[in-house]
Amino acid sequence: MAEDPASLTLVEAAEAVATRALRAVDLLDACFARLDAAEGRVNATIWLDREGARRDAEAADAAIAAGRPIGPLHGLPLAHKDMYYQAGRPCTCGSAIRRDFVPDTTATVIERLSAAGAYAYGGLNMAEFAQNPTGHNAHYGDCHNPWNLPYITGGSSSGSGAAVAARFTYAALGSDTGGSVRLPAAACGVTGLKPTQTRVSRAGVMPLSFSADNVGPLARTARDCARVMQAIAGHDPRDPTSAREPVPDYEAALDGDLRGLRIGLPQTYFNDGADAPVLAAIEAAVAVLAARGAEVIHLPLPLMDAVAAYGGIISRVEGAAIHAQWMRERPADYAVHLSARLYGGNAIPGTYYVEALSRRGPILREFARAVFGAVDVLATPTIKTCLPTLAATDIDHGPPGTEHRFMAVSANTRPFNYLGLPAISLNCGFDPNGCPIGLQIAGRPFAEARLLQVADAYQRDTDWHSREPPLYKH
Amino acid sequence: MASLLETIEISVAAWSGIAPPNEPARRMAADLAASIAAFEALRGTLAFEDEPASFEAALLEAKG
Repeated sequence: MAEDPASLTLVEAAEAVATRALRAVDLLDACFARLDAAEGRVNATIWLDREGARRDAEAADAAIAAGRPIGPLHGLPLAHKDMYYQAGRPCTCGSAIRRDFVPDTTATVIERLSAAGAYAYGGLNMAEFAQNPTGHNAHYGDCHNPWNLPYITGGSSSGSGAAVAARFTYAALGSDTGGSVRLPAAACGVTGLKPTQTRVSRAGVMPLSFSADNVGPLARTARDCARVMQAIAGHDPRDPTSAREPVPDYEAALDGDLRGLRIGLPQTYFNDGADAPVLAAIEAAVAVLAARGAEVIHLPLPLMDAVAAYGGIISRVEGAAIHAQWMRERPADYAVHLSARLYGGNAIPGTYYVEALSRRGPILREFARAVFGAVDVLATPTIKTCLPTLAATDIDHGPPGTEHRFMAVSANTRPFNYLGLPAISLNCGFDPNGCPIGLQIAGRPFAEARLLQVADAYQRDTDWHSREPPLYKH
Repeated sequence: MASLLETIEISVAAWSGIAPPNEPARRMAADLAASIAAFEALRGTLAFEDEPASFEAALLEAKG
């Protein structure tokens, strides 16, 4: 047992509560001790409900004492990107416009986590309306990277990545429309899974782009993500777009056996313009997987020009439509970088939008036939470059051209949103600035169990995921 | 002939009733020239049969 309960993984913490080695209130106290020590520097939260959390933790302990049945996440204090509706609680969506919004409904994924025994103690910082890849927020303050505070956390689920890395919580939900789970997972050195489009319900979740939004977990390990996924995945009658595919036993797939696995290393697009430390870390990571019996295959990827072109406009158009009324009535209530992005979305012709949507199925079919006929998974950098600083990507206060550095952050994650494919990001090293480097592994539709298996196998042989940021070393 | 940015400003005002909120908005709108070029490069690749959206079906077909 670790000295500090906050250092446990989610699965370890759940086992500690279930076996009465620790109480739920011990976990909460440990997380809040970390939060109280570092939140002033990290800024990962928007609101906290300490009293409610205490009640929930005590209720969890009472259930254990009474011998009542408990779920796989029993007594775990979680916190989520502040865009998941919880009836009667704030939901700012990281915005000024929704600063006082209190929904009267609860998101299905929050209900499912509650049914598994977890509770949420607060709302985490995020990009305004989930629309930037860096973690800037003009209304609640920028979120800072726990590994090196002047650097970006990645976004849009900035607080989710930072809070898990800083040990404020054991897991957090993020959302991923262009990389918003994987980017903060990579930048903050944690594990984050974007599921297959339609795998997880979006009922009660703030929309950004109806065609590309996904709900996914960020946690310290692949096994932690598997446990959260088990709770949230599956069809939801409240979200008719959610898939009816059966949900496999994700943790049962974590056997460490990669013999026969074919790992594809793209020869096109994903490494173009990548920094040397990033490429070296990916190469070393793939060698670890190969040592477990995986076969490494270099291959070109088809249709990447189309994927990039089409994938670049769908969320812009859908986001512009969602925000059009507020853009007419309250443009000054948006941060500069967000209103600037939304404005351009209104200029994209409907014919382009329909073309991008109508080609999505055929392109996925052709991509899957060519790629997954040859390999089982693809391995790429999550972010091509060493992490930039918040200052270097600050459109609101930076010089012309800053927007190009800003958007480059998500170049490697956006393609899998257009294709609807699942992808996971996990830490595979650090850059010269001490910031984490993310390994992205993508697979066939509904192959989440396979991705988790590969990530778990990697984490069996490496310790990047268990390292803690230097926040508490004075 | 109007520039792309001028065309965008007129079009967005006419269709959506929205004015450029700031200078970065103008710059990012002008950057849509890259999207136009990317779509131009893809012209001729859209088949008539592609019209009915079938993305969800493709997800299931490709799951292996």
